[in-house]
Amino acid sequence: MASDKLRVDALVVGGGIAGMQSALDLADQGYQVALVEKEASIGGKMIALSKVFPTLDCCSCITTPKMSAVAHHRNIHLLTYCEVQSIRENGGGFVAQVLKKPRYVNEDLCTGCRQCEYACPIDLPDPFDRGYGAHRAIRVPFSTAVPQIAVLDIENCLLCGKCEQVCPVSAVDFTQTPQQLEIEAGSIVLATGYEVTPRDAKKEYGGGKLPNVIDALFMERLLAPTGPYGHVLRPGDGKEPESIAYVQCAGSRDQTLGVPYCSRVCCMYAIKQAMLISGALPLADVTIYYMDIRTFGKGYEQFYQNAKAMGIEFVKGKVARITEDENQNPIVRVELIDEGSRVVERTHDLVVLSVGMLPRYNPQPLYGVPVADDGFVEVPSPNISPCVTDRPGIFVTGTAAGPMDIVDSIMTAGAAASEAAAYLRARKSASSVSTTTGKERELVYA
Amino acid sequence: MPETSEIRRQKDSQSNPQGEEIRIGVYTCHCGGNISDVVRCEKVAKVLSEMPNVVVSRTHMAMCSDAGQAMVEEDIRERGVNRVVIGACAPSLHEQTFRRTVARAGLNPYLYYHVCLREQDSWVSGGDCEGATEKAIRLMAAGIAKARHLKALDPIRLDAKQRALVIGGGVAGLRSAWDIARRGIQVTLIEKSPFLGGRMAQLETTFPAGETARELLHDLIERVLAHPNVTVHTRAELVGVRGYVGDFHVQIRRQSRGVSDDFAQAQAEAAIAACPVEVPDEFNYGLTTRKAIYRAYPGCTPATPAIDWENCTLCGKCLQVNGQGIDLENKPETFEINVGAVVVATGFRPYEPRQGEYGYGEFPEVVTLPQLIRLLALAGESEGLEWNGHPVRNIAMIHCVGSRQIEGIHEPQPDGQVNDYCSRVCCTATLHLANELRGRFPNVNVFDVYQDIRTYGRGHEDYYTQASANMVRFLRFHAEEPPEVVPAPDGDSCPVLVKIKDYLTWGEEIEVPVDLVVLAVGIMPRPIDDLIKMLKISPGTDRFLLEVHPKLRPVETAVPGIVLAGTAQGPMNIQESCAAASAAAAKVAVLLGQGLVELEPFVARVDPERCRGSGQCVEVCCYEDAISLQTFSVNGREVQRAVVTPANCTGCGACVSACPNRAIDVQGWTLEQYEAMVDAIAADLPASEVGV
Ligand SMILES: Cc1cc2nc3c(=O)[nH]c(=O)nc-3n(C[C@H](O)[C@H](O)[C@H](O)COP(=O)(O)OP(=O)(O)OC[C@H]3O[C@@H](n4cnc5c(N)ncnc54)[C@H](O)[C@@H]3O)c2cc1C
Ligand SMILES: Cc1cc2nc3c(=O)[nH]c(=O)nc-3n(C[C@H](O)[C@H](O)[C@H](O)COP(=O)(O)OP(=O)(O)OC[C@H]3O[C@@H](n4cnc5c(N)ncnc54)[C@H](O)[C@@H]3O)c2cc1C
Ligand code: SF4
Repeated sequence: MASDKLRVDALVVGGGIAGMQSALDLADQGYQVALVEKEASIGGKMIALSKVFPTLDCCSCITTPKMSAVAHHRNIHLLTYCEVQSIRENGGGFVAQVLKKPRYVNEDLCTGCRQCEYACPIDLPDPFDRGYGAHRAIRVPFSTAVPQIAVLDIENCLLCGKCEQVCPVSAVDFTQTPQQLEIEAGSIVLATGYEVTPRDAKKEYGGGKLPNVIDALFMERLLAPTGPYGHVLRPGDGKEPESIAYVQCAGSRDQTLGVPYCSRVCCMYAIKQAMLISGALPLADVTIYYMDIRTFGKGYEQFYQNAKAMGIEFVKGKVARITEDENQNPIVRVELIDEGSRVVERTHDLVVLSVGMLPRYNPQPLYGVPVADDGFVEVPSPNISPCVTDRPGIFVTGTAAGPMDIVDSIMTAGAAASEAAAYLRARKSASSVSTTTGKERELVYA
Repeated sequence: MPETSEIRRQKDSQSNPQGEEIRIGVYTCHCGGNISDVVRCEKVAKVLSEMPNVVVSRTHMAMCSDAGQAMVEEDIRERGVNRVVIGACAPSLHEQTFRRTVARAGLNPYLYYHVCLREQDSWVSGGDCEGATEKAIRLMAAGIAKARHLKALDPIRLDAKQRALVIGGGVAGLRSAWDIARRGIQVTLIEKSPFLGGRMAQLETTFPAGETARELLHDLIERVLAHPNVTVHTRAELVGVRGYVGDFHVQIRRQSRGVSDDFAQAQAEAAIAACPVEVPDEFNYGLTTRKAIYRAYPGCTPATPAIDWENCTLCGKCLQVNGQGIDLENKPETFEINVGAVVVATGFRPYEPRQGEYGYGEFPEVVTLPQLIRLLALAGESEGLEWNGHPVRNIAMIHCVGSRQIEGIHEPQPDGQVNDYCSRVCCTATLHLANELRGRFPNVNVFDVYQDIRTYGRGHEDYYTQASANMVRFLRFHAEEPPEVVPAPDGDSCPVLVKIKDYLTWGEEIEVPVDLVVLAVGIMPRPIDDLIKMLKISPGTDRFLLEVHPKLRPVETAVPGIVLAGTAQGPMNIQESCAAASAAAAKVAVLLGQGLVELEPFVARVDPERCRGSGQCVEVCCYEDAISLQTFSVNGREVQRAVVTPANCTGCGACVSACPNRAIDVQGWTLEQYEAMVDAIAADLPASEVGV
């Protein structure tokens, strides 16, 4: 188990795909890495997805091996359910105070057998399934979680002790308290990821109150083999939808929400989901209401053309409002731009909001790393040094630096690892040789 | 002279201890539904469990997950499993994952065999569950048959040279070289042209931050050149490659510059002025001309001019200015260096429209977007914009020229293919230019003719918003009805008309009279067929260089040690090219940083007892130094025997089929193993299992 003091070369904050890949790229070069994730499992948003564009690989097939590689790498210290509380500078390096939150389960003993979970009487909405599925107050976070260790939600626990009774290894421990941990690191990589537009953000789209208007992340869960219903059903009444509509830019490119930027992944994930729906519900009609289709990546345009050929309907139109009829069928009021901006109302069984990407974490207060107007980490020299923040020694990767897909997150993860490695080397030689102007310059660029 | 018995001993030390009981663990993966939606995995597992030597047969939702891997480890540790067969996705995805799993449990990683049940079965069975299930059983049975004959193997370990070669001196190549150098590894960068910087040098201000392209570039070039670990050769090209990851021998041919580095600035100017040759200047995309002794642009690196050997007439006029420092004889030199890894950063070329495509080459008023950038740079501070001797008041910019092409609508490229991809940078570049035009020349009207505006990146959407605010007028066409550029009728105020069916206004046919048409041309890979052949890497269907897997190994090619950076891999902007370049550098550091590389042990192996020295293997082998005849003494008699150099052998098996004595086998893929697999595939299934 981790001791209360750890000295590493690099501290990676956030265990989504970007953070994991950065940690692996540093560890494979021989650097010692501490990966701090605030949730009870690594994997980030990606592990909850169904299949991923453009290759349509099953998402677990890509993510779980990386999670496993992180957990088993001899140069990586994985710290889940931990949060950095303070950072101070120390001779060009950093010292992080980390809070290890109590799981109320002994990590060394728990085998992930889930007996406690089966015994627990409390059902709570499961955030992994966007609140539609349920989980117990004590549970292994999800089936492919890493580590496979149970965690107890003490706030919602009745302290009935059932879990304690059934645990075959007596791992449940109600007396656990938060622990402090100090990590000394030569450099930091921020990989804190993104959040999606809240479902109730847009009043015109029902403000989160229409049962059959869902967000795309929930559709990912519906399409995933481990999803809450095991099938694509609409949550309002459990009916199999025959007509499904996607509303693009629901939370992006929208001045009224203060999100003027493009979220970059929604066109592709909507097309992907539409294709997967065509497989799961061969008789369903899928319509995508869009402003511009932005399939710009390698192989993405071809993906879009395939979707068109499969019969998915693409309608250029601005959705002004979503209401519902007496059967809770959503009604989409849309301006059909290709038809002289004629306004029509169309009824569907299910509407999916292609929600945008919002910044998840502001590192300014703790790390002294400024964010830009869009709320994502500021990158002062975006062209040449896309992973270098305003503060020497701290780098950024993945969606913490703005919306991007998995392919681009992985690219920047390698780039951030490169920057951190170069910084560590420069620091080492700067400390062994007395600092010269040349060395300082190198540090500035690093 | 070694004794054959010595070789024999080596061989024995690698084979398995005699009499070990073979205990096979067999696992059929659901692949999250990818396999189990078609293949009845539980049934497969049950049938397999009854096969000889199989001690456990299990299924799992995702074998590659931590839990799946843990199951295998436990079976090895607790149940004495000593051979593992997993039926899952393609081996290219997770064979390595499972080898590591097996190794973690203390088993030799080559006692693992990977059966592909997804790409070879469930995905291609068209939903035929019975057929797919039977096929899965047969494929797995073959895997089990092979597993019975698996032997422990060791990877081939080689020293890795602490030097990398970067091909291409554009922003991606430079950025990669700098990152590798900073990581403490030596780098040689070769650039084909006489000057560094690539296409980025031809840009002015750049999106997304308005930074000046050449300033950024010069800063980067300065850092690269100042780094003690970097060697740069301009006018240099790869002409030959031998070897393998960790130890490539690359041959480089460098042409003379013709002008020595100490040639003084003032003399250079005079020599250039004296040259009588005028050729189209590629830097300005043919809008201007340059001399046969030239610099790419003022302030380029290197600053020393170069002689353009193709166009120099050897007239000697430049020598008359001051002959000292100019040598009008091109003396190309070829040299060899030894590197551990290669970064390919050969970049892109803008799409060159066909003669007549949107009037290109037909009307002088039709130019490309890269040309417009140069044109605006050449216009300098001038008040009004002129082109072809006429003031420009109306400009149409047409998107997606040479990109997003559709078969049957667009005429194919010379190779018969259409460019069906999006070029990713042209939308934002076009709007950036549209804004610049409106800002600098407020009287010029800009019409933007597009299909979708793809300002996807961070800060890109602002260019679109700004363009709308700047009164850039947008017209939208459908791919099936592309706009046309036609001459204006006599007496019209503008020379050409752009005809478009505009879907922002009821699909109305609109004619826009303009003075200049700008084609937002796409990005195409540079023609590097020779390089592709030499390096044995492959392009994808879009002709850009292909990565192994966009998510698992995004910068690696199928050839170990050869990685990709920048637009050689596909359309990217500068930011993305730099991120990719740094990611490539990280891969190089992973490969070479430890000083050692490991190669797969699947190479030919000669049984010296069976070998009769016929030499037929040496004749059929296509690889240099992979197999040779050497002299040994057997009972005092000198004999010839074949010997394999593992590092040079690719395991192709040509020698195996040529050997008349069955003396050669490819380790890990022996004839014995193949025969067992074929027998198992063709064997009768238990009657109860067929057609159920
Ligand atoms: C509906 C939908 C579908 C998508 N489909 C695809 C697809 O098919 N293909 C594709 O390429 N992309 C897809 N994407 C995009 C993809 O999800 C992202 O590109 C990717 O997950 C980004 O990874 P990340 O590591 O940057 O961020 P995240 O996955 O958000 O990871 C960030 C991690 O950091 C942790 N963290 C945050 N703050 C802290 C802190 N302060 N301390 C410690 N830890 C912290 C979080 O808990 C999380 O684990 C989709 C997105 C959506 C919304
Ligand atoms: C019109 C236009 C406008 C653009 N505007 C912007 C912008 O504003 N912002 C932005 O971010 N991006 C912009 N871009 C994109 C940007 O130009 C590219 O992302 C960037 O230049 C790619 O760099 P590279 O190093 O990959 O390729 P290149 O610049 O093409 O460099 C490749 C280098 O390799 C050399 N080479 C080729 N073959 C060989 C060989 N066999 N041996 C040795 N050397 C070889 C070439 O001579 C060249 O120097 C624009 C692109 C276009 C077309
Ligand atoms: S970036 Fe824009 S102009 Fe370029 S190909 Fe893609 S859609 Fe067309």
